[in-house]
Amino acid sequence: MSSVPMENTTSPRKSKKALPVGHYRGLASWTVVFFVFLYLPIVVLIFYSFNANRMVMNWGGFGIDWYIKAFQNDDIQSAVWNSLVVATVATVVATAIATVGALVLARGGNFRGKTISLGLITLPLMVPEIVTAVAVLIFFAAIGLNWGLGNVIIAHTTFCIPFAFMPIRARLEGMDTSLEQAARDLYASEWETFRYVTVPLLMPGILAGAMLSFVISMDDFIITLMVGGAGSTTLPVYIYSMIRRGLTPEINAVSTLLLLVSIAIVTAYWIMSRKTET
Amino acid sequence: MTAAIDIRGVTKIYNPGSNQPVKALDDVSLTINDNEFFTLLGPSGCGKTTLLRLIAGFEQVSGGEIMLFDDEIENLEPNRRPVNTVFQHYALFPHMTVAQNVAFGLERLKKPRPEIKATVERVLSLVKMKHLADRRPNQLSGGQQQRVALARALAPSPKVLLLDEPLSALDLKLRQAMREELKQLQKETGITFVFVTHDQEEALAMSDRIAVMSEGEVQQIGGPTDIYEHPLNRFVADFIGDTNFLDGEIVDLNEDLVTCRIGEQSMFEAENSGGHRVGDRVTLFLRPEKIRLSTPDDAVSTESRPGTVANIVYLGNQAAYTVDMGDGVELTAQARPREDGKLPFAVGDSLAVGFSARALRVLAQ
Repeated sequence: MSSVPMENTTSPRKSKKALPVGHYRGLASWTVVFFVFLYLPIVVLIFYSFNANRMVMNWGGFGIDWYIKAFQNDDIQSAVWNSLVVATVATVVATAIATVGALVLARGGNFRGKTISLGLITLPLMVPEIVTAVAVLIFFAAIGLNWGLGNVIIAHTTFCIPFAFMPIRARLEGMDTSLEQAARDLYASEWETFRYVTVPLLMPGILAGAMLSFVISMDDFIITLMVGGAGSTTLPVYIYSMIRRGLTPEINAVSTLLLLVSIAIVTAYWIMSRKTET
Repeated sequence: MTAAIDIRGVTKIYNPGSNQPVKALDDVSLTINDNEFFTLLGPSGCGKTTLLRLIAGFEQVSGGEIMLFDDEIENLEPNRRPVNTVFQHYALFPHMTVAQNVAFGLERLKKPRPEIKATVERVLSLVKMKHLADRRPNQLSGGQQQRVALARALAPSPKVLLLDEPLSALDLKLRQAMREELKQLQKETGITFVFVTHDQEEALAMSDRIAVMSEGEVQQIGGPTDIYEHPLNRFVADFIGDTNFLDGEIVDLNEDLVTCRIGEQSMFEAENSGGHRVGDRVTLFLRPEKIRLSTPDDAVSTESRPGTVANIVYLGNQAAYTVDMGDGVELTAQARPREDGKLPFAVGDSLAVGFSARALRVLAQ
């Protein structure tokens, strides 16, 4: 019996009959409640984005007017553009830094301060976001940095690094070092070993880290609100300002589009990781 | 005979600076000849794998020299050493096909494309894997992965092939078949093989010469028969095969034989290997298969002694008998089951135990 839960964690795909769900009374109904709680608000949000009425919660027939309106709104367009620029640059830089950091910590042997370095990299995950936001804001003010969107990009890069770092390091730790030795043994220089063996094998981890960074950055509100000045409004910040001016189904439409982008990224990652597996 | 690898006083200490330095190899010297199937044999932790990794370049020597055909290699990077390794768990690149795996070394050596293609085909047919060239490693069985690992290591025509317990992950039948193939492959290619194993049967079956290692030192180097029949010390005798050990004292000797007292008054004669004196404490050893068991009436040899069956372990094609010889002496011997499948003797039977003095050897303490 004791091997059943273990099998369940190591190979989730193979153990179909490991835990007989039907044996736990009431589990099925709780599961339904759980999923309703989780997804009903999102379903409602998407549903009312197709509302033809001006009032969000008053159904006035089906229409895609609010989508058209959202696409024609210059402010939304510039907010989406800002969000994409920030998320893309922050993701690329954060993933690159996280990859190098993970390589040093996983392959660099034992050096002084290794444990502390590891702690310092992952610590931002535990620091409350509002603390980071205030700290970054004060820091930028103190050094007089005023690059507009650049400030937002730097702030996003900073908090994306630990998110990118975790999956990359996990992948590296699970990688058999004898593969890299085999490459060296077969006349590959250190660079060639990195290029032809380490990087391809690390790719699923790098992709996961990049995807996580991108989604976290696209979604960030508190830090962006604090750091971003006029002209560097991102989509979440813009949506918040729209709500303050009054609810219209345009917000629903924009939120639905944001959700679509997230789903697209996750799907793309899933397809890519399936390809590298076989 | 040319030396392929010459290990000169090599020492390896792990964590030298720390408070727990581990001496993995202690002043090891040995010579591996060109075109030889050489085996490093010993229990885990004896330093055999460390020595192989030092030759491959995955570890740095703490002292001593490693010569490869007159070139000093111990300070070269692994990719500058013309040797290739077959890893214990194969270490095939999972993101490449079989053919790409085999071509990897040749590509790094910047060989021309047509030559790479031809070599890959040649070594893959050498290991009978040509038909699976486009598969990924995870689509292959353990035995097939093993063959690909061999092909990949052989493709760049290394001066020496290093094999790190390559058969240990295979099941028994496959392991036995691969023994033959490895031996055959070594003859066909003419490449020097350095084979690491803890399996004495594997070592005896394949090797031209064997180095038996223990605790970072070489205990004995010799051909399979040398090692089995003339072990230099108790460790070698014990590690290779089953053995009876008899501890005693030399009471008499002449040019051919020494006479030892074992227990209170049992006298055993053994071959005089030279350098012994009366009064020396020695260990005699006697292989179980050199002992003939018979019923007292059938005893043909005058050299036989009486004994009683104390225990039997049935092994299928034979049975191991523990025979009580009296005076606190016990010997392990072997007997085959009869044609009807029954064992020839039962526990408590009286026996005539026959062995010649030439089968007993004196070991250094």
